[in-house]
Amino acid sequence: MSTLGQLRRVRVVGVGLHPYQRPSDTPYTRLGVHAIRAALADAGLEWKQIQAAYTGTATTSMGMSRLMYRHLGATGIPMTQVENASASGSSAFRQACIEVAAGLVDVAIAVGVDKPLNVTMPQRAAGLRDLADGRVVPFTHFALLASRYMHDHGTTPEQIAAVAVKNSRNGALNPNAQRRKPRTLREVLAPPHISGALTRLQCCPVGEGAAAVIVASDEAINRLGLDSDRSVTVLSSVARSEAVYDGENFDAALTRETTAQALDEASVTAADLDVVELHDAFTVEELLYIEAMGLCKPGQAAPLLQAGEFDIGGRVAVSASGGLLAMGHPIGPTGVGQIVEITTQLRGEAKERQHPRARTALAHMVGVGAVCVVHILRKE
Amino acid sequence: MRIAAHPGLYDVEADPPTLSGTTCMRCGRVYFPPMAIGCEACGASEAQLRPTPLAARGTIHALAQVHLHHGRPPAPFTIAEIQLDAGPLIRATLARDEEDPQITDSVSAIWIVTGTGDDGNEIVEPAFTTAPPATETADEAARNGGNS
Ligand SMILES: [Zn+2]
Repeated sequence: MSTLGQLRRVRVVGVGLHPYQRPSDTPYTRLGVHAIRAALADAGLEWKQIQAAYTGTATTSMGMSRLMYRHLGATGIPMTQVENASASGSSAFRQACIEVAAGLVDVAIAVGVDKPLNVTMPQRAAGLRDLADGRVVPFTHFALLASRYMHDHGTTPEQIAAVAVKNSRNGALNPNAQRRKPRTLREVLAPPHISGALTRLQCCPVGEGAAAVIVASDEAINRLGLDSDRSVTVLSSVARSEAVYDGENFDAALTRETTAQALDEASVTAADLDVVELHDAFTVEELLYIEAMGLCKPGQAAPLLQAGEFDIGGRVAVSASGGLLAMGHPIGPTGVGQIVEITTQLRGEAKERQHPRARTALAHMVGVGAVCVVHILRKE
Repeated sequence: MRIAAHPGLYDVEADPPTLSGTTCMRCGRVYFPPMAIGCEACGASEAQLRPTPLAARGTIHALAQVHLHHGRPPAPFTIAEIQLDAGPLIRATLARDEEDPQITDSVSAIWIVTGTGDDGNEIVEPAFTTAPPATETADEAARNGGNS
């Protein structure tokens, strides 16, 4: 057994996005090709130099890769869709990294692309029934977690809503974000109430978009004359699935386990992280995961967030992109878009959103099932 | 005769309601909703999974009043995570007339009527309440829950 870091070094050499937006008539093929062309231009590569493609997607269609990639010129390379719920894009990126690290190819691309055309639930396919059948959709799942978090830590609804205030401020600085308005606490707490403590602006928008990341070996970077100074190293890549946890909620427990392993494999600690992109689909999740990752002690995330520790320019910038809450959560693109954001931060190219002296960054997604994928990147 | 709104999840003839759980004979884990095919905790085969009636009684672990819902029942309604005395942490609906439920409150289930079948029989499901009328008959409980 090896970790990713023990195999051949993998570096991110190009990133690109199509802005996240409300569902439109634009076909996914056009969204995806826009992001891919941006990533190729960023890397200084041509499509014919890409040797493998992984497409993170969950809600569009089976067999959708080649219809998109053909517009770049059909080269016959292997193409694989990767579906892993909200972690689809993260999982596609992980597969691209693994293929380069293993030495099977020198240059691979991970593309996240989706439109909310075909949203399905596995419980129905499995024929599972529950007393709360159909009454607990994701926002109520997280409203339940929020109630328990408030009970355990004495956190107020205002403190939970403050996550959306911070992330809307960051999203307003991100030209690719779906929500680009900075919001006050009063606006975040205003109706419509959705479930429990969660209001509309505490739930992420699910729209459409695309994100692309190109990874390469050192050999390819030298051979193709790529800009090594702008490349970012993938220190670790870890994926886990839910085990049986007694008492502890599974989203937090799974995040704790997966992050701990990713930090260990990268030989860094939580205190070394400068930038963190996490699965803040609902406000309370950011507080839960900050604690589960070990960025602070249990129950401390809300007061530290209020004190500005997780702002851009704070101790560690959390959701500098605006996160799922403001940048948006088009599903397939989300995990790839996180890699785009942390790469941009580590390169020092995030402009108004730039977190000073960003050297080490983490990207985290959970997906229903439940699964969790964590990557740690560093600018060497 | 009552008809279960969720066939296979509870015994409609029991008063108060009894949930249809599963116990793994190999590792002892108790499940609700019932577990089929194989044990999540230890991988034991279906032959080791035994139906186990579970008292519909426990403590509120988490709560959410749902304001936005497409379909039945109409919002608002309250969903609770309930730590059953019998072991599993389950999700269920609280009775409609429940006033100011709190995390750590003790709750147990009553029958509520959600509709009428083609044959005129009542369709029922369990809903949890902090103050179940202990001496009430099943029919009264069902009527009271259904009218609330
Ligand atoms: Zn077992």
